[in-house]
Amino acid sequence: MNTLIKIAWRSLWRNRRRTILTASTVVFAMVLALFMRSMQFGSYNQMIQAGVNQVGDLQVHDTGYWANQSIDRAFFYNNELGDSLKSLPFVKSFLPKLETFSLASYGTQTKGVLVTGTDPILETKQTNLAGKIIKGKYLTSDDNGVLIGDKLAEFLKISIGDSLVLIGQGYQGITAYGIFPIKGIFHLPSLEMNSQLIYMSLQNTQEFVYPYREGLLTGISVFLKDPSQLEQAKQQIQTKLGKNYEVISWKTILSDMLQTIEVDNVSGQIMLMILYIIAAFGIFSTVLMMTMEKRKQYAVMVSIGMQRTKLIMVSIVETFIVAIIGVIVGLIIITPILIYLNMNPIPITGDMAQMYLEFNIEPVIPFSLQPGIFIYQTLIILGLSLLSALYPIIYLARFNVLNAFRH
Amino acid sequence: MSIIKAEGIYKTYNETNVPVNALNGVDLKIEQGEFTAIVGPSGSGKTTLLNIIGGLDLPTKGNIFIENTNLNELSSRQLIDFRLRHIGFVFQAYNLIPVLTAKENTEFIMVLQKVPKKEREQKAMELLNAVGIGDKADHRPGQLSGGQQQRVAVARALASQPRYIIADEPTANLDSRSTHELLDMMAEMNKKYNTTFIFSTHDQRVMDKAKRIVTLDDGKITSDETFQR
Repeated sequence: MNTLIKIAWRSLWRNRRRTILTASTVVFAMVLALFMRSMQFGSYNQMIQAGVNQVGDLQVHDTGYWANQSIDRAFFYNNELGDSLKSLPFVKSFLPKLETFSLASYGTQTKGVLVTGTDPILETKQTNLAGKIIKGKYLTSDDNGVLIGDKLAEFLKISIGDSLVLIGQGYQGITAYGIFPIKGIFHLPSLEMNSQLIYMSLQNTQEFVYPYREGLLTGISVFLKDPSQLEQAKQQIQTKLGKNYEVISWKTILSDMLQTIEVDNVSGQIMLMILYIIAAFGIFSTVLMMTMEKRKQYAVMVSIGMQRTKLIMVSIVETFIVAIIGVIVGLIIITPILIYLNMNPIPITGDMAQMYLEFNIEPVIPFSLQPGIFIYQTLIILGLSLLSALYPIIYLARFNVLNAFRH
Repeated sequence: MSIIKAEGIYKTYNETNVPVNALNGVDLKIEQGEFTAIVGPSGSGKTTLLNIIGGLDLPTKGNIFIENTNLNELSSRQLIDFRLRHIGFVFQAYNLIPVLTAKENTEFIMVLQKVPKKEREQKAMELLNAVGIGDKADHRPGQLSGGQQQRVAVARALASQPRYIIADEPTANLDSRSTHELLDMMAEMNKKYNTTFIFSTHDQRVMDKAKRIVTLDDGKITSDETFQR
């Protein structure tokens, strides 16, 4: 075996320039692929993080609420429920919410809106809602005022200090109605949110929807200490809370965003495939030249008694060595760069930065250091090199010794 | 008992649309320890006969026996293994493995035979010394002259302890001095190890050393002479 490896190694370095060029192709592919993937996955993680900050890693609802989001599927918060969530070691915090649809009216204007009742302090901690106020003030915990989106305010022709009439369906058939002063106007990244959303303090919303009993909620957003334990946490919360509650992960809640990421990921994979093809052709052309160049040597080796399978092994080892060199050098070059960029993401400036901030995303291009990216790219490049070795494998298995001598 | 027995060997090539009969019914027996030259003009079938005797090619018709083994009946894998264990080759263009040193080239065949490392290293050096090139053991083929490379090729052929060595025009690329040295050395190996040598050649100097000369013409043996040298 040693002799075969020795032959493969020395054969490669017999034409040093060609080997270096081929390995460079692999290095180029590795560096570019890892840079691209690290940036892509970094951005995906950033998007997911922003989304999770908004909705929580998990949400607890009354069973069936997610499929049929009606106020009648709300539930009452109790200390037992709170204590159960607090007792779970992986729960970092939780944010109770009460959401309902209502009609909002001011003067002659009326529009359907989504009223979100939340704890203003916890809410802004997670979503920086206070930072989105463009007019007026943010809510306090026991505030009786409301926050409305700028587009909704524009439609209703309402401003700070004016009183907004809300009328809608309350819990269990009662009519929910009230007059609420406008405390602040916010601007969120989504036009839909700006033209439909109203924020109120949780207590105020509960009194609006069902004034007869405290603690009505449509859901509790749960934030985890370690988001990688999502599935495990989901199972444990579900077990702890029992059948009366359903536990939904952000993957279900943000399925649209996941789909967008998936589409983007596919376009990234197409780019990668082009890179892989370039790398594969780089390796293949070398392998092809080496095979053609050594036809006579192969013929001699088979003549004197070397089995074709051993020759094939030599050829595979040669290809593999080039790929390994390329992969290792590629990793040596790109890893420190990615570590640096992971610690110091590329800042985004101008309008783009503003857009990022509106989505509550830090205006930077982050880079991921997920080990999976490195492992996957390495395996793909090594796999491609083995694929390139298919030609010599087929040639060596079938070539005619005497014809090869004539060449 | 003959070491090689060729019976009614025909070989027809159909590479173009016109069939070419390279061998037309060759019968040949070669005994252990012979130093035989197969001679004849270009296209007479020397190389074809050598390829068939060497198990590199199979006859279109006829049988080739190496002692009791009919080469026609061996599979491709078995033929390779047979060559490894029983036949040595010396090629016109030396055909050493360019990335291995003289010693490693000599050892290579023993590596394939799975001879233990110490034993094969010792034997390789012994053979290189025997062919007069022990001091060049660590040189690669590119650092050796044609004559020196051919000596390494002979050492490599002997390393497998073959029943016979096939040498296809081994002196064609050598100068006069190297030719004489190589032939003397091969004659000595023939005597020392009783190894059977079968050459194909045009070279009168080789014929002068041969103990038997088989002449081929148009794929047939036209004469078969034995000499006392």
